Amino acid sequence: MELLKQNKDKRSKIIFYLLFIVLFVFVLRLYYLQVVKTAYYKKVSEKNCIRPVSLIAPRGLISDRAGRILVSNFPSYTLLIMPGEVENLEKTINQLSLFAGVDGTDPMEKVKKSCSYTYQPIRVARYVDFPTLCVVEERNEELPGVFHQVELNRKYPESSWSGHLLGYVNEISLEELKKTEYQGNRLGDLVGKEGLETQYEDFLKGQKGTRYMEVSATGKLIGELEDKKPIMPVPGLNLELTIDLDLQAFAESCFHPYRSGALIVVDPQNGEVLALLSKPGFDSNIFTGIITQKEWGKLVSDPDLLFLNRITQGLYPPGSTLKLLTAAAALEEKIVNQNTTLSPCYGFYPYGDRIFRCWDREGHGKLNMVDAIAQSCDVYFYQLGLELSLEKWSEYAEKCGLGKKVGIDLPGEKEGLIPTLEYYHKKYGKVRWVKNLIINLCIGQGEVMLTPLQVTAFYSGLANDGWVFQPHLLKRIITDGKTITPEPEILRRLPFSAETLSILKRAMIKTVEHSLGTGRLARISGIKVGGKTGTAQNPHGEDHSWFVGFAPAEKPEILVTVLIENAGHGGDVAAPVAREIILKYLQKNYKQLVKK
Amino acid sequence: MRLPWKDFDSWLFLAAFVLSLIGIFLIFSSKYYSTNPSEHNLYLKQVLWLVFGIAAAGAVFFIPLRFHDVFSYLYYLLALAFLCLLILFGMNQMGAARWFRLGWINLQPSEFTKLAFVFAMSRYLSYTKKPIYSFKWLITVVLLVCLPAALILKQPDLGTSLVFFALFFSMLFWAGIPVLFLVVLVSPLLSLVCGFYWFTWALFFLGFLLVIYYLRPGLVFGIIMILLNFGVGTVTPLIWNRFHDYQKLRILTFLDPGRDPQGAGYQILQSKVAIGSGGILGKGFLQGSQTKLAFLPMQHTDFVFTVVGEELGLLGALVILALFIFLIVRGILIAKKARNTFASFAAIGITTIFAFQMLVNIGMVLGIMPVTGLPLPFLSYGGSSMLLSWIGVGVLLAIGYKWYEY
Repeated sequence: MELLKQNKDKRSKIIFYLLFIVLFVFVLRLYYLQVVKTAYYKKVSEKNCIRPVSLIAPRGLISDRAGRILVSNFPSYTLLIMPGEVENLEKTINQLSLFAGVDGTDPMEKVKKSCSYTYQPIRVARYVDFPTLCVVEERNEELPGVFHQVELNRKYPESSWSGHLLGYVNEISLEELKKTEYQGNRLGDLVGKEGLETQYEDFLKGQKGTRYMEVSATGKLIGELEDKKPIMPVPGLNLELTIDLDLQAFAESCFHPYRSGALIVVDPQNGEVLALLSKPGFDSNIFTGIITQKEWGKLVSDPDLLFLNRITQGLYPPGSTLKLLTAAAALEEKIVNQNTTLSPCYGFYPYGDRIFRCWDREGHGKLNMVDAIAQSCDVYFYQLGLELSLEKWSEYAEKCGLGKKVGIDLPGEKEGLIPTLEYYHKKYGKVRWVKNLIINLCIGQGEVMLTPLQVTAFYSGLANDGWVFQPHLLKRIITDGKTITPEPEILRRLPFSAETLSILKRAMIKTVEHSLGTGRLARISGIKVGGKTGTAQNPHGEDHSWFVGFAPAEKPEILVTVLIENAGHGGDVAAPVAREIILKYLQKNYKQLVKK
Repeated sequence: MRLPWKDFDSWLFLAAFVLSLIGIFLIFSSKYYSTNPSEHNLYLKQVLWLVFGIAAAGAVFFIPLRFHDVFSYLYYLLALAFLCLLILFGMNQMGAARWFRLGWINLQPSEFTKLAFVFAMSRYLSYTKKPIYSFKWLITVVLLVCLPAALILKQPDLGTSLVFFALFFSMLFWAGIPVLFLVVLVSPLLSLVCGFYWFTWALFFLGFLLVIYYLRPGLVFGIIMILLNFGVGTVTPLIWNRFHDYQKLRILTFLDPGRDPQGAGYQILQSKVAIGSGGILGKGFLQGSQTKLAFLPMQHTDFVFTVVGEELGLLGALVILALFIFLIVRGILIAKKARNTFASFAAIGITTIFAFQMLVNIGMVLGIMPVTGLPLPFLSYGGSSMLLSWIGVGVLLAIGYKWYEY
């Protein structure tokens, strides 16, 4: 290439100039460090060590829709060790466990795990009380490399019910540390576990800062390093939830007599969750103290499944609440219309060589579709299910989003199960007795399993003219003065015509308003209420009691789903609870209710 | 008649040798007070590597350059294959797969890839018959650099992959391509950087258009570059503003680890204290304050220059700098003298490896460049780096010795 030869002289000259500039800059920098600033660096290097001290970012606060605090922060002392400054780690940790009651095995593990960062302080004990701190600080000559720091911890004032909603905060686990979403965290950092603390970890955590301190050889803090400015922490974002604390507290008091179950209150017009209760729960505050392995084991192995969020993770047979799906599918497929009467109910229905009973042993006689829903006649639905077939039924169920995650902003949601023909083929091989199966499924028994949240989402669509709004808990994000309000999102449209929906709504109103309706105990005089009861047989004992109710029936503002485990008939147990909550909520806006 | 050793560059050899010797003393010093007794003998390993290195340099010296010329693409493909194998089976150390384990030796293929790339690029640049601005030519050159760089970035090793781009530009520069054209080549990256503020980007884009107008490159190339710049410049702020603050922070921390105050930032602080406290004459060999060095876990590898600064002071640091500059100048003189184009390119490439690593490493230790983790040639502890540096010296010596051959 001719180009090359011509330019060689010129090009190498340019390179020499560049080289000279680099040399000049380096010499200048060396002169600055080693001549101009040398006295300062000599002082730092001879007398003292430098220790980076984390400035913990305050975690974001969480409040209800009116700004009432659900989680706050409070300060406490933490003991730390700087492995690089300690001569004999084992001895130091033994001494610490002697003075401060620190459990030695845990910190020792941590120190080993993070040995590649000898200049990285490691937390050995949290929530150290003041007397203990004094004991340790008095001996700081014997314990070089041990120091304390003030850190912020979480406090949950509403802990009697908020455990499942908010979750808790604890030290990051080694498994979590390896995941990409926890990138940037270090051993000993506090991260959200379960509930909204995990869901919105990225919003809540903020950004840590660092201050560089000079430390004398005996471990005394001398002061801040002058040539390195501290990096200030950025506080986490504050979250405002859709929860209404008054309604929540009231709902909890209504639920008080019952040991276990779930309750969820939503606004069907925008998907906001107003109250949410999963019982039994756990107290988030216990994780703020030091929780021993033994205590933890006891909580986890409790037979009442304390850590199961029954709203999103509890799988239940939906019982008669699912009859509306069967009814809607049959109407859509033009198998029946609202006036069709099938064979009368005598309290049982013989099919093949089996007898399928109605819940009412007396029998309901001849009913049309609307009355069959209102009185929850099993025999009517057995016949409807047989006409409809399993394939059609499961197809509609899937289109309604049943057996799929709803996508609420809580971690660990379960999918539940809507059995399909393939499911049975896979499980039992080619089955011939499919017809028997649909008889159970169409009244919400058998293999079908749903979460209370899925039932809620389905009914919010039925109540709201077929539009299902995404149930959500986050109303606003507040960041220094600015607020971000996410728009309510439509999750799906139920696959039913307006006519079908209006028939169903009429039936649900009749369920509550008619004197023979199964939900009559939810009636509120002065306002129209709609709803559906459910009584789900289950292998764990007494039937589960379901009720889903909404009001005002024409344009519902509130929808309440109540599930009480092993409590009996839905109409007797769950419906009155839902009634109280609906009444309490509507009293705010409807004057006619207050007088009574 | 020519004297047999007249053209042997003994000064170059001597500079490299003295640097390596100093390096061994520095490694000895840095581990002298180590609490881990097995590290006391680390310098002996380095002595062994130096012996290997000089032997390798000797062997390479006698290989005719034609041989490298003919097999350069094969070297390149072999190196790529090794990098792929590394991604599949490499040894994982501190979150990065950079090594192959062979007995007691850890081999780092990325070091050898540098040399293979230099040879391949030299061959391509010296034999190409296509016009420089042609689209096909450009695509080939860009692919040639991006393949190894991407594989190494995946390890992840940002520093070493940057070496490839340094080689790319220095060799194109040596090929006589106008500086402005090189600027056009990097322009999409510059657009990305300027794109965060519309005014700076508009200024940049205007300047860029002027340059294009002045250069008049091929039509296809020109249009593609303009579109690329326009696209990057307009899309960057849109995408960036859609990110949440925490996402922005993650990206920034990835690009600039110095932002992570407890990791890299802290090391730089310690490194500055060590060098600054050395003063003009230094604290004396083995007299470096050990409490400081305990904070610098990589003082015998990437941060070896801090030992010079602390124990041998400004004078010692200047001697090291002078030796490096001398070595680099000798390398450039050889590249200038060589009549064979392939040889000239190879010489400039090898010299660039030394120069770029020296620049980035010392710049980092002095706290004026971001932390990227490149070793200092000849001085840092590490077998692959030592071996490669000496093979480089061997090639340089061979080129200098046969400079008159076409």
